[in-house]
Amino acid sequence: MPWYLYLALKQLFPTGKRLSFFTAISILGVALGVATLVVTNSVMGGFGHEIRRMIIDTQGDVQIRARGLIENSGALVDEVAKVPGVLGVTPFAEGVGMIEYGRKPAFPLIQGIDVNRVNDVIPLNRFIRVGSLDELDDDTVILSSQLAYSLGVQIGGTVTISSPLLIERLKSDEVFLPRELVVVGIFEIGHQQLDSNTVLVTLRRMQDLYGLGEAVHGLNVKIAENLDPDAMATRINAVLPRQSEIVARSWLEANTEFLFVLQMEKNLVSILLMAIILVASFSIMSSLLTTVVRKTREIGLLGALGGSARQIAASFCVQGFLIGVIGTGAGLLFGFSFLALRNDILHAVNRLTGSQEALERFYQFSNVPAHIETVDLVVIIVGTIVISTLAGVFPAWRASKLKPVEALRNE
Amino acid sequence: MSETLPGGGMPNDQCPVTNGETWSPIAGTKVILEASVLHKTYLSGERRLEVLHGVSLVVREGESVSIRGESGSGKSTLLHLLAGLDAPDAGSVHWEGSTDTGAARRARFLGMVFQSFYLIPELDALGNVLMAARVAGKIGPVEKKRAQELLARVGLAERSHHLPSQLSGGERQRVAVARALMNSPCLILADEPTGNLDEKTGDSIIGLLLGLCAEQRIALVLVTHNAAHAGRTARSVFMRDGLLQ
Repeated sequence: MPWYLYLALKQLFPTGKRLSFFTAISILGVALGVATLVVTNSVMGGFGHEIRRMIIDTQGDVQIRARGLIENSGALVDEVAKVPGVLGVTPFAEGVGMIEYGRKPAFPLIQGIDVNRVNDVIPLNRFIRVGSLDELDDDTVILSSQLAYSLGVQIGGTVTISSPLLIERLKSDEVFLPRELVVVGIFEIGHQQLDSNTVLVTLRRMQDLYGLGEAVHGLNVKIAENLDPDAMATRINAVLPRQSEIVARSWLEANTEFLFVLQMEKNLVSILLMAIILVASFSIMSSLLTTVVRKTREIGLLGALGGSARQIAASFCVQGFLIGVIGTGAGLLFGFSFLALRNDILHAVNRLTGSQEALERFYQFSNVPAHIETVDLVVIIVGTIVISTLAGVFPAWRASKLKPVEALRNE
Repeated sequence: MSETLPGGGMPNDQCPVTNGETWSPIAGTKVILEASVLHKTYLSGERRLEVLHGVSLVVREGESVSIRGESGSGKSTLLHLLAGLDAPDAGSVHWEGSTDTGAARRARFLGMVFQSFYLIPELDALGNVLMAARVAGKIGPVEKKRAQELLARVGLAERSHHLPSQLSGGERQRVAVARALMNSPCLILADEPTGNLDEKTGDSIIGLLLGLCAEQRIALVLVTHNAAHAGRTARSVFMRDGLLQ
């Protein structure tokens, strides 16, 4: 081991002595910065990841929509299904309606789904908590969990559903009769907005409610994993009827602004939190500068023993590097430990403050998701170590500029 | 003092002593240090302070030379120039005929002992002695054994794992002496090594230094105020007004 590395290690971890106070503070500062960055990045990444997953789970990878209605959707489904890389296509119709149970009304988003095809694109079975998707037909309905709870309806209960278009289509001598549907399932996706206000009916029932005839509002498309959704959207657009106003857009394109805001939020928070690392790096610099002043005579001695200015500088740079490495290691440990216990901590805080409902209402999630991209982790680790090492450069430069003879005279 | 230390009973490879020859520390043997007409001036504010006025000194292998003089007479300045730690304004310093007095060569050619010991507080006695070998880029079982034996020779075998803060002044200086000897240098420069010690301990340190240097055929330049210590070296010079007399 080169002597300057050995000395750096010994100065940070002296034989038979405790870690110096300044070193401990520097390591703690770096560790706190890294832990905060890891936790924040993971939680923000988790929210972003959940939102992305939810978009894909509820809309598919690519969505085909028209300015108006899509007529003859069966032929279009067959055409799109032939595109290489497409795993599944399902038509849908959607709109706001009124649901009523026991004189309690609600105005949910009604989704008409093709029961035979929906699972090829949207993993609905995964979200069904009670009942079964197989039981969904033109006389039945599946409700989101919070909607069912707020209406007080259970499996087997009968709800009435109507739409504004249904009323509009009535002739003067007709009596308005809302559709009576039996609840056969309750689903929960984990997104508060969807879970609180969504109704699933068959596509045929939705076409009936909205008077669509055979038309649909769009098609959701599932593509093979690892394929670029934008490229697939372009490929699908190529098979869509020319001069029609039907367009395929990837979920990335359809949510460009939203995804941009998510990414920008994450980047801004990361930049702001990097300030913690910078503050810690000043602590490292100050600690090492103090060491240079305190050890002036030893620096002179090392010169007298034959150590070059560059080696003496390296000894201090290595100390900055080691503080960075140890602080980063400790920070990763703190950060990931906190993430592992995040939901327990959150629920404990919620129990104390009674804020569980507010959390679900405003943040849409009952649990805190966590997801960190490898590249973000690498940036945090490398960035922190580089900043810590750079913090050692100035003290190292000061040490290397000390002339041994002047340092030795420094009694 | 009859034991032979590993790598230390014989002179350093860099020292110009032919193996097998009968060694004798007398004039006539090879010159290992030659300082010629050294001048050194310091600026003190606007005042120029000429410390050395053309000092010349020759040290031969195995020779012990003491330099005495009043405080501020330039003894330490001369020692720093001889060690290559500072550059003269005029004149030259040759180590074994070469003007290369750079850091890398210093690690092998020189050992230094200072008044204030200058031990590294984070390292134990053994670690401090071994530091000289580490800086010279040679550290292995042989060096570790030599460091242990050097500590034994200076009477600190039982204290090799004590930190400097756990040692007395005399013991610290013994560690510094062992460190100076570690790389089997050609020359040891000692700058008032007894300045911070009581008389008895000082006498003991000088005896140790002179004895080990003689045993290992290492030249010694000793800067001291103490006439008795100076008297124990083979040659004694006096520094006055920036000149050696």
